[in-house]
Amino acid sequence: MLELVDLSKKYKQFYAVKNLNMFIEKGEIVGLLGPNGAGKSTAISMLSSLVEPTEGDVRFNNKSVIKKPAPLRKVIGMVPQEVALYDDLTAEENLHFFGRIYRLTGAQLKQRVNEVLEIIGLTDRRKDIVKKFSGGMKRRLNIGAALLHEPEVIIMDEPTVGIDPQSRNYILETVKRLNKEKGMTVLYTSHYMEEVEFLCDRIYIMDKGDLIASGTKDEIKRILSAEKTISIQADRLNDSFISKLKQHPTINRVIAEEKEITIMVAKEINMFSTLIKIAEDAGIELNSVDIKTPTLEDVFLHLTGRALRD
Amino acid sequence: MIWQIIKKQGLILLRNPRQLLLLVGLPIILIAILGTALAGMMDDDTTPAIHVKVGILEHEDEEAQTDRFLEKLEDKGLPEEAMEEIQANREQMTPIQMLKKSVFGSGELKEMVELREVKSAEKEAVMSDDSYDALLEVPENFTYDALAFMFLDEPSQPMLHLFQNEGSDIGFSVVKDVVQQFQEQLTLNTFIGKEGIDSSVIKIDKDAFAGETIPFNQQEPVSAQGYYAIGMVVMNVLFIASTIGSMAFLEKKMYVFDRIILANVSRWIYFAGILISTSLFAFLQLMLIYGFSWLVYGVQWPHLLPFIAVSLAYAIAVGSIGVLLTALSFRINTEAILSLFSIIIVSLLAFIGGSFYPVGDSSAFLQRLGDLTPNGAAMSAYLAVLRGDGISAISHHLYFLVIFAFVAILIAAMSFPKRGLTT
Ligand SMILES: Nc1ncnc2c1ncn2[C@@H]1O[C@H](COP(=O)(O)OP(=O)(O)OP(=O)(O)O)[C@@H](O)[C@H]1O
Ligand SMILES: [Mg+2]
Repeated sequence: MLELVDLSKKYKQFYAVKNLNMFIEKGEIVGLLGPNGAGKSTAISMLSSLVEPTEGDVRFNNKSVIKKPAPLRKVIGMVPQEVALYDDLTAEENLHFFGRIYRLTGAQLKQRVNEVLEIIGLTDRRKDIVKKFSGGMKRRLNIGAALLHEPEVIIMDEPTVGIDPQSRNYILETVKRLNKEKGMTVLYTSHYMEEVEFLCDRIYIMDKGDLIASGTKDEIKRILSAEKTISIQADRLNDSFISKLKQHPTINRVIAEEKEITIMVAKEINMFSTLIKIAEDAGIELNSVDIKTPTLEDVFLHLTGRALRD
Repeated sequence: MIWQIIKKQGLILLRNPRQLLLLVGLPIILIAILGTALAGMMDDDTTPAIHVKVGILEHEDEEAQTDRFLEKLEDKGLPEEAMEEIQANREQMTPIQMLKKSVFGSGELKEMVELREVKSAEKEAVMSDDSYDALLEVPENFTYDALAFMFLDEPSQPMLHLFQNEGSDIGFSVVKDVVQQFQEQLTLNTFIGKEGIDSSVIKIDKDAFAGETIPFNQQEPVSAQGYYAIGMVVMNVLFIASTIGSMAFLEKKMYVFDRIILANVSRWIYFAGILISTSLFAFLQLMLIYGFSWLVYGVQWPHLLPFIAVSLAYAIAVGSIGVLLTALSFRINTEAILSLFSIIIVSLLAFIGGSFYPVGDSSAFLQRLGDLTPNGAAMSAYLAVLRGDGISAISHHLYFLVIFAFVAILIAAMSFPKRGLTT
């Protein structure tokens, strides 16, 4: 239904997005994952016709929408990364205004405003001024404003940043419900692995403007099928231990944190006794050694050598 | 759709009492303060307490001239009674005398004009003396010729000669007006005279030029409160342009503008929404503050139509500034232009336009410069209307405001960026 073809955006000499290829089919929940500055927002701004791409094409039902965005705009709902609302208006007035600019009128408008307030759980706060809302409530209203015209596709740019777990769960459940009950197609952008793992059928992972992996959850995790992740915990880690790990021929990757070290090794190798020995040599005592099932976080780690969140 | 944008803009303004207070409350307070504190200074400047010095050089002996005319009448064989009646009204057959005593020597003119008799020999000296505003020269045989022109249908009307001293401006224009009126009055009497020589008609109607038709008396003086009501209003209305501009820029910064664009609303609809809402709120602001000034300070407009016309033209000009500021801030993607406008440019315009004190009174150049600012043009127009002028007298200001608005809208349209986000 929606397709990005070799899409690039260049700011001066710098590519915010480079040669991005993506597709979204009707009824899917697609995740777009990446750390800060990966180019997620830039990519979906081009997708939603807000930013003109430097190169490449955006296609909706096989037609380019770069020059003629109107048909695409009609069917998409965009939830921007920032809360894009009028602070001085009430929840209801905001929804009323955004409904009006989508040309809803009269009884239909009223009904949609009520429905949306119900969906985002703000019916009893409808008369309150947005300025007085909590972060989570603003986020919910931010989503509601994109739902008024019953879009076929909803594009959400990190809709849960900086809010409490309760609001976050509410939003995730809402997205899932919209997809199940209304058949709404969703593009969900985030840098939270858990959210994307929980919601999405298919996932794209971006870093520094490039697409570094894509596929279903399982497909992506299979990237790691040849490796396993081992987490080592100790009270006092020292440099000697870390450098010994790094020098060890069977260990592919070492990521050291304060009290925890994550290493990646080939699946078939049994590291347990080796690790104990290295620890003894370095003079430290291990608290625990866990073999973890791979997460998307590990995939990112594997692909970039960096953690997804700094 | 445009209406939705205007309505929302209005709603947001109403939710910001502090902003409203600045836009409407502050000017009302300033009018009170400036109107009272500077009332004395103002009076000096606007009431015509100007001193005008006029030299009058007569090349004739008026008494002899009148005698000669009466003899001529006798020769023509006028009936005895008619002759007697004319003789009795002889004092009214000395036009120069009347000009000196009844016109320059009465009412406000008496306080304003200092008349000095000048001898032929002094002419050169007076002409180059800067303390004189004008020199009035009465040619030889003026009185006889004038009377003959009036009563005997002689074809040529004699003229008084008026010389302007280059340094004099307002002073000279007063004298010129008076002399012109006087000259016209003489012409008018010709027609009466043609009816035949009837002494009852011979009377020169003193009231006709005893003051009423002299511009300075006719026009209502502007009170300090009136002056500052206009000055503060035209200045403060400029702030609505930056207020709406800031609201629009905030919409862009908060990505609400993106939402509007994504709803397939043409950016020109948005553009028009900004233009119309700024103009509309400017007009409401004008009416509100003037309404208050009328009720509380007694600033009353003699004619409603020209008052509304200036207000409309100025509101549209302010609307065009609003949309220009919006377009520029969208283009360069910073609020700086709005701050620059509200902090520096408004004060500058207000000063040049005469909002703080009548800058233009001291020099014609500053007056012209002031009239080239939208607020200055509006101010000059409002002042004229307050003094009793009609639409035709202020039409050049109205044209200026409309052209200004047109040009500003054009520039705004050209610089309004094509897409929501920076591209
Ligand atoms: N208008 C712009 N001009 C110049 N550079 C830009 C512009 N917009 C984005 N960038 C740059 O492009 C890169 C990608 O930005 P983008 O906002 O798309 O990242 P993101 O993945 O959404 O990050 P985040 O998770 O922080 O929202 C960043 O390095 C950013 O600085
Ligand atoms: Mg982003």
